[in-house]
Amino acid sequence: MPLSTQSQSGNDEYILVASLDNARNLSNILKAISFKDHAIFNVTQNGLKVTIEDSKCLQANAFIQADIFQEFTLKEDVVGFQVNLTVLLDCLTIFGGSTVPGVNTALRMCYNGYGYPLTLFLEEGGVVTVCKINTQEPEELIDFDFCSTNVTNKVILQSDSLKEAFSELDMTSEVLQLTMSPSHPYFRLSTFGNSGNAHYDYPKDSDMMELFQCTKTQTNRYKMSLLKPSTKALALSCKVSVRTDGRGFLSLQYLVRNDDGQICFVEYYCCPDEEVESNE
Amino acid sequence: MKSLFGRAVHALSRIGDEIWLEPLQKGSVLPLFRSVATIERSVYRCEISINVLNNRVMFQFNCKHGITKTHNLRYQECEALQAVFPTHLCPNILKSQPKLLSDVVMHFPTSQEEITLSISPIKVKFKSYFEEENDHIRSVCTEMSVHPDEFDYFQVGVDSEATFCLKELRGLLSFAETHGLPVSVHFGAPGRPVSFSVEDMVLEAVVVLSTLVIAASENPSQVSIVQEAPVPRNISDVCPASTPIADNSVANISKHEGPLEAEVACVPSENSTFPLGEQVASSQGSPVFFPASFHMKNLLQLHREEMDLLRPKGMHSLLFGAVSSSMADGIASELPSLVCASDTEDDAGDDGVRVEE
Repeated sequence: MPLSTQSQSGNDEYILVASLDNARNLSNILKAISFKDHAIFNVTQNGLKVTIEDSKCLQANAFIQADIFQEFTLKEDVVGFQVNLTVLLDCLTIFGGSTVPGVNTALRMCYNGYGYPLTLFLEEGGVVTVCKINTQEPEELIDFDFCSTNVTNKVILQSDSLKEAFSELDMTSEVLQLTMSPSHPYFRLSTFGNSGNAHYDYPKDSDMMELFQCTKTQTNRYKMSLLKPSTKALALSCKVSVRTDGRGFLSLQYLVRNDDGQICFVEYYCCPDEEVESNE
Repeated sequence: MKSLFGRAVHALSRIGDEIWLEPLQKGSVLPLFRSVATIERSVYRCEISINVLNNRVMFQFNCKHGITKTHNLRYQECEALQAVFPTHLCPNILKSQPKLLSDVVMHFPTSQEEITLSISPIKVKFKSYFEEENDHIRSVCTEMSVHPDEFDYFQVGVDSEATFCLKELRGLLSFAETHGLPVSVHFGAPGRPVSFSVEDMVLEAVVVLSTLVIAASENPSQVSIVQEAPVPRNISDVCPASTPIADNSVANISKHEGPLEAEVACVPSENSTFPLGEQVASSQGSPVFFPASFHMKNLLQLHREEMDLLRPKGMHSLLFGAVSSSMADGIASELPSLVCASDTEDDAGDDGVRVEE
């Protein structure tokens, strides 16, 4: 498909048109999951879901619902494609990504369907840039089969307290161990590094703890290298929900507010590193 | 207390990698105190305990919002090191508010490794020190003089200078400044250690740094090493007590000093706790030596080794020439010629110990 001869005849040809007055409302949240190059876009009438996976053990999703966009038109039920997320972010921030108040990059994102590139029209201060990013066939996504009915333990924490813990984590530890329990230590993050181990305990009645629903004592370990990227999402978020299910799979859900105060979600799913016996 | 401890750890970290707190493994404690600001903001209490059975030391922080952070670190036992440095025997003592020293030190570039602190009855001078002559050309050379009145306490027993590592001092000064603690400086002749200390009701911090042995400089009264030559004869004149040469501090008396300085120097050496050849290490590994009971030949030998390592080449022959010349009486009158001789290659008392350039 020769890109330069694509005619731009308004919205008629595109099966997806999504517009934002402030491109940061998309780029910021995508940065929270940008630890790998290839991202899979899944677009429905509800909005945009962008997914990144790592080693078949970790999946990160960013949800930008339709009402975040100033314009959101989808001519099919579902549209899916894969793009290089690093390139996409470079384009979204092509005007430098400055945070001067009142100066925004406007975005119009268009897609013509299978085989066509993702076209971005970006404008700032009267200057227009057109970017066409090649798309690929979307890879199949892992279904972590994590559903609320299987959730054994769930807490919701204010992000600030976790941010501090994550910034102090001993990175020489290969794993991050998570203990959740209806009794002491309630919610504990542990590391096992070169010089020793460390434990961060959050009591269930801490004022950082917004919700505490733990039914049984569970201890699971997750590869530190897989969870490290989640700190980007944590940094953007104001709240985080931590859930584990009977298999020890971990779900982290981050509530992110964009520049205009609208809410978006980022979630991470992670497989446990090894089986650790749950204690009743 | 917790912020004090955190800062103390930070100050110590600028001195070395290993921290002493009932012996601990290298590199493991500092990260716990990495962010002093965070600690101040969120930590209420820090409890430290040792579990000897498991070889673990535990740091437990009780923080805001009920959060508890527990760190169990492995440790290994090792011998206790303690610098033995009798500050009460130091002829030169300065005491000042930390801001004074901080303001001085802040003018040296952060890359400046060593500085020379020199003292005389009329001023205290801080100057950049460069090991290689070439470094002079490449870097900014800074020099600052402070009037004795600026110090809360000023005592000069022997005109002297101390060249030491600046990095360690910066650590202590920022600690002292944060807690508003006056800093005391104790030192003696070049080559002897210098100590910087602060104390208050709950703590005492002492940093003992080794100093470089400096060769003859422009100021004749600084040539204290040369003065060691006449010691065996002069000592009985100055000090009736039989004071063996073992005490280096006794040896380094400028002939121009008055009775006060002489008294200070004449403290009987049995109180001197510096054993022969004790080395007080600094992170830079500056060699330090104490000629102690060596007599003249050994003195020369050691000087030569020292000079080979440290001195700008132009100085070698000058120093040896002076030392090897005839003793005592000639020295004072030869001092001016020493200074002149530094500009030439000729050596006043050349007896073959000239070091080849």
